[in-house]
Amino acid sequence: MKKLPMPILLRSLSQLLFFLAFIVLFLRTDYQGQDELFGAVNLIFRIDPLVALAATLATRTFIALLLPALFVLLASLLLGRWFCGWVCPMGTLLDWSHPLLGRHNKPLPPALPRLRYLLLLLILVGALFGLPLVGFFDPFAILVRGLSMAVYPAFALAVEGLFTITYQHGPGWLNALSEPLYQALRASVLPFQQKVFTLALAAAAMLLTLFLLELIQRRFFCRNLCPLGALLGLAARCAPWRIANAQKTCSACGHCSTLCRTGAINEQSQVNPERCVLCLDCLSRCPQQNFRFGHLQNPPTPIAEGLSRRAFVGTALTGITVPFLFAIRPFKKQPNPKLIRPPGALAEAEFLGRCVRCGECMQVCIGNAIHPAFTEAGIEGLFTPRVIPRIGYCEYLCTLCGQVCPTGAIKRLPVEEKKTVVIGRAYIDRNRCLPFAQGVPCLVCEEHCPTPQKAIQYREATVLNNRGQTMTVKQPYVIGDRCIGCGICENKCPLPGRSAILVTSAGESRREVSQWQDGYG
Amino acid sequence: MDRRRFLQQAAIWSFSVPLVAHWPFSLPFSIDSVHAASEDTLRVKVGISKGKDYARLVRQSVGLVGGMSAFVKPGMNVVIKPNIAFDRSPEQAANTHPLVVRALAEMALEAGAAQVRIFDRTCNEPRRCYINSGIQPAIEAMANSKVRCEHIDNRKFVDTTIPQGRVLKRWEIYRDALEADCYINVPVAKHHGLARLTLGLKNSMGVLGGNRGRLHQRLDQNLADLATVIRPQLTVIDATRMLLRNGPSGGRLQDVRIENTVLASADPVAADACATLLFGRDPDQVGSTVAAAAMGLGTLQLNRIQRIEG
Repeated sequence: MKKLPMPILLRSLSQLLFFLAFIVLFLRTDYQGQDELFGAVNLIFRIDPLVALAATLATRTFIALLLPALFVLLASLLLGRWFCGWVCPMGTLLDWSHPLLGRHNKPLPPALPRLRYLLLLLILVGALFGLPLVGFFDPFAILVRGLSMAVYPAFALAVEGLFTITYQHGPGWLNALSEPLYQALRASVLPFQQKVFTLALAAAAMLLTLFLLELIQRRFFCRNLCPLGALLGLAARCAPWRIANAQKTCSACGHCSTLCRTGAINEQSQVNPERCVLCLDCLSRCPQQNFRFGHLQNPPTPIAEGLSRRAFVGTALTGITVPFLFAIRPFKKQPNPKLIRPPGALAEAEFLGRCVRCGECMQVCIGNAIHPAFTEAGIEGLFTPRVIPRIGYCEYLCTLCGQVCPTGAIKRLPVEEKKTVVIGRAYIDRNRCLPFAQGVPCLVCEEHCPTPQKAIQYREATVLNNRGQTMTVKQPYVIGDRCIGCGICENKCPLPGRSAILVTSAGESRREVSQWQDGYG
Repeated sequence: MDRRRFLQQAAIWSFSVPLVAHWPFSLPFSIDSVHAASEDTLRVKVGISKGKDYARLVRQSVGLVGGMSAFVKPGMNVVIKPNIAFDRSPEQAANTHPLVVRALAEMALEAGAAQVRIFDRTCNEPRRCYINSGIQPAIEAMANSKVRCEHIDNRKFVDTTIPQGRVLKRWEIYRDALEADCYINVPVAKHHGLARLTLGLKNSMGVLGGNRGRLHQRLDQNLADLATVIRPQLTVIDATRMLLRNGPSGGRLQDVRIENTVLASADPVAADACATLLFGRDPDQVGSTVAAAAMGLGTLQLNRIQRIEG
């Protein structure tokens, strides 16, 4: 193996360390044995200036949670897009995938990289006018969503499957080896419980797309699409520390411009700081050692990469007008009853503005209750968190989702307050509920109801069962004022298929509209 | 065989066989019934102790029914099955008290147990239940590698046929519970909407896999059927605090009565019957106790139970 030059070694080491830190934080996004999580497991989103800017514009409030993002932005004002080359876990993964996917450099329209500025503009203008888009293009959102909803659960299933086979069918000597390994994996990298997610395939496909784009061009996403990279690139315009070519001795061999992973070096060997991620390849690989990193007293005029006036105005107008089209759909007036938001979620408009669709809440949810929404909240609500009680219920004393939400779209709730937050209310489907429909005892819903004074009560009734026998059974009913919509009843209902007790978002605390204002009439 | 021996044997057998036959529904080859009937007394012992030192209560109650060494022999694999079903604190009385579980683990070790396993398939999130019930911290504080408070491992559920079951013919049962040399059932005595009370027989549901809610449709008989395959050698009922309303999950201290009582018995039915009395109810008001007694799994009639109070 050839020896790596020192600058590249340092950069690779930094990428590795930050990636490991990212994975450790990801794995620690889980119940840790106490009500409160230890450590900022959502740090990756809190240092994201794009998320910070979009959420701030959308809510027009200062979000203290996102303060760390300012440091990344300030650092980029000094050093340019170092974050993309040295820290970003998405960029690291794309770099690592490069040897697997092979070298491709297809000729592409030279205007393509401007797409990222269009996206950035659309995201920011959209955020201001009520069209939340940041979650669909932010690299960390795509990465964490893909990991938490698809890659990690699938990985867990594969490992569990393997050790189930060795445990149930393997000989003793094999188990003597495999069981300690399995327990060690359980204690370190495997999730406590196997999870499932409604949009697992969509999240996986989106993440996979980023890797497939590498087949067209190296760091295709970072060059052409990444709105975060675009934002940091804007900051890089005035960065005094940067890489530059000592033009005098350059023979314009063109080696650097084909080498550069982000296409930041042009034919004349000029470095575009808006694209340069400071990977330092050119520093080490230039045959004449012409590149230097350092403080430039008089930065040369940057290679202009702005948008045309027409593109700027067009994109801004799109960002301004589309939100009004979105606002005239019925569920903006009357919420979808199936859209149950996690406890502590803000009122819908503000919630959508803040939510990054990052999947942190879904990763941390110990009940596997929170799932990515499909169209329940409109297409702009794709991947936003939604509680599906039949798959998983909201644990009565758990407050983890509010603790990991990086933007405060889900409020952090003290346990005492969480107990009183209503996310929906249950109702009984008497056509299916056994004591009503068949005269058969059941009452599993009442057994599990967690409110100290049970929201599900029962009364004895004498009914005819399916065989015409007279039976005295206990029939459940819901006391609406006590019900908080946690959904454990719907989850534990022993009927096959659809539950006989169902939760809808009716009565949720976060809706400010009082009941007398409800409806269209 | 000499004449005296012959007469002795003849007397014993002619005395005991009709007794065995007299037991309702006992099967002709049921060794347990024969064994029970040939004991020196017909009366089943239930040890009951009252006091505020829960560890001492457990020792006293078990001592009254023969002591731990009567149940745990050196080298045995012991399973202690408390109720850890809910994410509740000890004073909320939804789970077995950690001190009761810990005392039993210590006693099992003193009796020479090779290994003590403690587990329950919870209703709420398992880690929260194990920790907030106080049971996992109490066991971990023992710092003894022979005692383990383990989470349920889904690979260990075994599809088990229940040959004597009247309505429940097969179910998935936890392997460790079936294979234990000594299985100690440690329920907490509390209110339950459907079953009225949940005691020892209901606590056995914590070793079942699958969709347990389905068992509610014929709960009493299902629990009795289950008791034919899950047979605790010792039942210790924690009535130190009793949840009287809003059970089995509870959550309000107003619904909890401090009873400071622990019961112990080798007879699972008799233990439940005596615990029922603490709630001011007759033993035959709890359906599972009645159904299990009807299958000959233990003694329900109070006049056949010797309640030893200590």
